[in-house]
Amino acid sequence: MPVASTDPHSHTATEEHMPRRRVLAWLTSVGLFGSAVLSAVSNLVFIKPRATYGQPARFAIGKPDDFPSGTRISLDVKRVCIVRDGGKMAAISTTCTHLGCIVGISDTGFACPCHGSRFDQDGTVTGGPAPKPLPWFELSLAPNGELEVDKGTTVAPGTYLNV
Amino acid sequence: MSTETQEKGAWSALREMPSNVWSSIFRNPLPCTDLERASTSFTNFFLHIHPVKVHKNTLRPIYTMGLGLISLFLFFILVATGILLMFYYVPSTTQAYDRMLDLRGTVAFGIFLRNMHRWSAHGMVAIVFLHMCRVFLTGAYKKPREFNWVIGVLLLLVTLFLSFTGYLLPWDQLAFWAITVGTSIAGYAPLIGKQMQFVLLGDTTVGQEALLRFYVLHVAVLPAVLVLLMAIHFWRIRKDGGLSRPQEAKGETAVVKMTLEPAKKRVYGLQGFVRGPFTKVGNVPDDSVYAWPNLLLSELFVFVLTVSLILLVALAFNAPLEEPVNVMHPPNPAKAPWYFLGLQEMVSYSAFWGGIGVPGLMVAMLVVVPYIDRGTKGVGRWFAKERLLANTIFLTLVILNVIFIIIGTFFRGPNWAFVSPF
Repeated sequence: MPVASTDPHSHTATEEHMPRRRVLAWLTSVGLFGSAVLSAVSNLVFIKPRATYGQPARFAIGKPDDFPSGTRISLDVKRVCIVRDGGKMAAISTTCTHLGCIVGISDTGFACPCHGSRFDQDGTVTGGPAPKPLPWFELSLAPNGELEVDKGTTVAPGTYLNV
Repeated sequence: MSTETQEKGAWSALREMPSNVWSSIFRNPLPCTDLERASTSFTNFFLHIHPVKVHKNTLRPIYTMGLGLISLFLFFILVATGILLMFYYVPSTTQAYDRMLDLRGTVAFGIFLRNMHRWSAHGMVAIVFLHMCRVFLTGAYKKPREFNWVIGVLLLLVTLFLSFTGYLLPWDQLAFWAITVGTSIAGYAPLIGKQMQFVLLGDTTVGQEALLRFYVLHVAVLPAVLVLLMAIHFWRIRKDGGLSRPQEAKGETAVVKMTLEPAKKRVYGLQGFVRGPFTKVGNVPDDSVYAWPNLLLSELFVFVLTVSLILLVALAFNAPLEEPVNVMHPPNPAKAPWYFLGLQEMVSYSAFWGGIGVPGLMVAMLVVVPYIDRGTKGVGRWFAKERLLANTIFLTLVILNVIFIIIGTFFRGPNWAFVSPF
């Protein structure tokens, strides 16, 4: 097919067809591009799990008597430290707010082995790169007398459960 | 002709079959003339990636040091050994570590293959980085090679991510705490950080889902991306006029600029559509040599050298394997492989700036540098005087990175406290 025609009739015919062709081309582009976007979004939706298989956010940790007064017991698998002082109890996160390592209990509070963040007894940052204090989780007494930690709910530091 | 074949009959067809089969596969004899050398390069599937002729500068070992080629060959070794390792690996938190021990104990050549895979991976990270330094210090990212430089930066990132997803798979202490720290860094990204962390882990904590996800990324997604980018990278080398070289050495392989536009008159040949300078033959000094055998022999030499070195290293040193995962106690100090220790040192000051801000800024600088540094002087020479400023800035950043890696490797002890190695 010649690229540019010298025939005046076919010329005008081409021009008359242009808007319709352009609309079709435009619709096709929108359709293809839209499908591509839709497909990309679907992929993201697919790889974001709806249900997780890991540990639940809310779990029981035992009776209050299991934690003698004055102790700080770190439940490492649950990543929470249970503090008891007399009748007051609290659950402090042991996941470092810097990059997620488990903080260990030290003489002055908590210390992270990964990048050297340090926290005091209440989880307030005293040194290192941690940007935020360790959060306190809601601790409650279930009807069966067991303590329950809800890692989905944080409470203000200094909020104790009286047992 | 046809009668002649009929006369020959089935017996002679049978007798000539070996040579007929051979010549149907290899259409050229071993090349002896220039025409045959050229023909070999563009009729062979595996060789047609090469130009028929290459500029002499391309073959100077001191110019490229073969770094790009070494990266490619290391990738070949990684694919080959990686596929073999997949036959015995199970991406399960309960089995992965035992499979590593099996590779050591019961699988024939298991430990050797794992060593080759691990050391090639370390080598590839180092060589790809050095390749980038070579391209920068010779000014090879300049017009018309800007976009290929950008592809190269992406290739470096994919290489790093491949290596990161790879060392998680043994599910030893390093794996667990590296994935913990790495995905936490991703969590610091603005806006989408937490979502990205959740999608990467497939869960709220590091566990089976995360291992499976990183396995799929490592053996399928990232290699596919890498191969695609590599194909574009190599294709662009040809289309951008071969390797960069000093301007005075501009030879007959100059860029052929083609523009498709309708011809004014009715024409019936392709030449009617193609405008711009054509490759001139015969009226310029010929600084090029035939790819067969010059380029091929150099490539073969680099290949043999790379494979031999990896074989030797794999025989001499075993790939590290730490203790099995203990989710309660991170090793103290918990250190990433050497090439991430610079990053780890930076995140020990600030998670956002060390893990997202500074690295993001560096990548952004690398991507835009060919569009900012538009000077055309000093291309094709190492440490050209005309490029003193650009080279100084680049080398400063490289040296800073190396210093951070050295601090992270040798000067950090338990709780990431400063210790003296002496």
